[in-house]
Amino acid sequence: MKVRILFLLMVLLISIVAMSQILTLTLWTAPNPYQDMFWRQIVSEWNKTHPDIQIKWSEIPAAGSSEESILTAIASGRQPDICDNIFTGFGEELVDSNVLVPLDSFPDFQSLISLRHMETIIKHWDFDGHYYVFPEYVNPMLIWWRKSILQKYGFDQPPRTYTDLYELAQKVDIPHRRYALLFYTGPVWSDRWFDFIMYYYAASGGQPYVNTQAQVALFDNEYGKEVANFIYTLFKNGYSSVDLASPPFESGAVVGCTEGPWNIPYEQTQFPDIYKDVVVSPPLVPDNYPKDKPIYTFADSKGMVIFKSTKAKEDAAWEFMKWVYSNPNNDVLWIKLTGMPPARSDLLTNPIFAPYMKDNPIFAAYAKYVPYAVPPALSSKTVDIQQAMTTYLVEPLIYLKSTPDQALQQCVSQIDNILFQ
Amino acid sequence: MEKRIGTIKRKENIKGFWLTSPYLLFTVIFFGYPFVWLVILAFSKWNFISSPQNIGIGNFTKLFSDPMFWTVFENTIRFMLEFIPMVLVSSIALAIAFSKARYMRSFFAMSFLIANVSSGVAYSILFEQIFASNGPVNNFLYDSFGIFIPWFSDPNWAMFSIAIMVTWKFMGYYALIFLSGLQSIPNELYEAAKLDGANRWTLFWKITLPLLNPSFVMVVVLAITLAFGIFTEPFIITGGGPLNSTQTFMMIIYTDAFEKYQAGYSATIAIVAAGLSFLMIFIVRKLMEKNVSFS
Repeated sequence: MKVRILFLLMVLLISIVAMSQILTLTLWTAPNPYQDMFWRQIVSEWNKTHPDIQIKWSEIPAAGSSEESILTAIASGRQPDICDNIFTGFGEELVDSNVLVPLDSFPDFQSLISLRHMETIIKHWDFDGHYYVFPEYVNPMLIWWRKSILQKYGFDQPPRTYTDLYELAQKVDIPHRRYALLFYTGPVWSDRWFDFIMYYYAASGGQPYVNTQAQVALFDNEYGKEVANFIYTLFKNGYSSVDLASPPFESGAVVGCTEGPWNIPYEQTQFPDIYKDVVVSPPLVPDNYPKDKPIYTFADSKGMVIFKSTKAKEDAAWEFMKWVYSNPNNDVLWIKLTGMPPARSDLLTNPIFAPYMKDNPIFAAYAKYVPYAVPPALSSKTVDIQQAMTTYLVEPLIYLKSTPDQALQQCVSQIDNILFQ
Repeated sequence: MEKRIGTIKRKENIKGFWLTSPYLLFTVIFFGYPFVWLVILAFSKWNFISSPQNIGIGNFTKLFSDPMFWTVFENTIRFMLEFIPMVLVSSIALAIAFSKARYMRSFFAMSFLIANVSSGVAYSILFEQIFASNGPVNNFLYDSFGIFIPWFSDPNWAMFSIAIMVTWKFMGYYALIFLSGLQSIPNELYEAAKLDGANRWTLFWKITLPLLNPSFVMVVVLAITLAFGIFTEPFIITGGGPLNSTQTFMMIIYTDAFEKYQAGYSATIAIVAAGLSFLMIFIVRKLMEKNVSFS
């Protein structure tokens, strides 16, 4: 009897010791069904092959936004060890608050960057000489057009310049029924990424719109004026409208609208016939934009971070990130499941991605623009800056309450004040 | 005898305390603690991550010089001026209609409550689609009469359109409050007035309306509280636009806290908004509330 008890105690002790050897890391990822499928597979594979480091994965808890959820988690000390879905502005806020591990402190950081062909992309994620956010994907914003409507009105190609668009609008517009372009995506601060900022990047060849070091706005220049005039002309002539019933592109209420690649799986599933009628182009540019110069666009880009609170488990967390992003097969899986381009500049040249590109010309168009997709400014005042763009620039032009020059000047002056505070 | 009564009283007090203690505990945890934290935050600068820094009345001075605060204040007053008359007239009319119904009065009254209990997000999306620039309402108006109404896309219309929606949601609920007021007015008063030659209008203005004063004040107080707390409809439909014409206190509290990471400033707005609504309710009660007696 005594021997049996002793044996059981030994087994229990060994189990406890073995359990204490297992490191458990918590991972939060974007609350998105397509991304869930990716992480479910990845985490399961990791947990099978790494019994000593187990990943406890969940979606970022439901809230108004991922940022809100992460902030409340940090405030209450419940933040995960690793988290994705971090955009540059929020990354800057977290860096300022000193809660992130600098990823370039790991010795093999640069080798992972080279291995994943991210040398150009990573430059946009430089926080005062360090890298705290690992870019996961880059979604260049492009314009989707209804091919059949374009062809019906004699356009074999989507419009390239502002004048091309005006010509199209004069032919296709039906008052209160159909418009050439959906320009304005809404009054929320983040909507400015998909209209003014995207068009500014296109007009300026990807130049920054604010200098956070010098605390000044930079778009009161010829490119900013071109975009402001474009917005004013669109709405003065009724070439675009706000407040259209959803979904305006699919219902034919607009011929063109800005879309990210995340819309590909949704469109394929929900509107397969419309999807076949889609042709993609980069954002419209001013008439004098050189034809041989690539057109830049806005990058909706998110990355992954390791929180400092993870302490002794930092190396394990980095090991996991390295394991995920050093294998291009994981990026293939990511593309297949989410339809979003991974943050790597060899998408068009690496043969591993070729079969997918061949079968998905719309995705291939997005992949082509990854090197020309610029993320938003690295500013912790992103929300204030973009709210000022809404209040003093975009909306006054849409509602014809200001002239392009006045709106531009007032907006720049407001943003300078915001940056200076 | 007195000693026994004292013992019974003490026992009753203890029993009462135990019966109410779960609610008291609930109040302390979910109201008292957040309220104290809110007051502390109002005098602090806090981005959720770093420790809160005491900045005295800095948030309050910033608030009163913030153009957005005054825009929101103006929007709230405008919403009240549009919503309160609309909801009062429609709910009184509905209550009178209910009171005149001979059959299935409760059924009709309850039917109007469906709007009140339906999901704010769901009906906001529905209204957004119906009243869109190219939605069915505008298509009908444009095709039939050549009229186009920018319900949610014109700064002069957007808040009014939201007021219409909120009226639709609350008129059934407020009508029930008025209905209970109407039912408490003794019929003899109407009969006596009729004998004196009063017509329907006179009955309404001289008897119904004055004797509905308690219900009237209650509905106005509820409507003011609602005006300071409105969030779902503008958040879902207009996002505060166009030109900030539908920004509300709740929306800027949310944006400042969870998008700009200014929890301290957001707490200040919450306190000032609560203070303003209390002040408004106090004024309304002082001006409108009357003692009503049916004798």
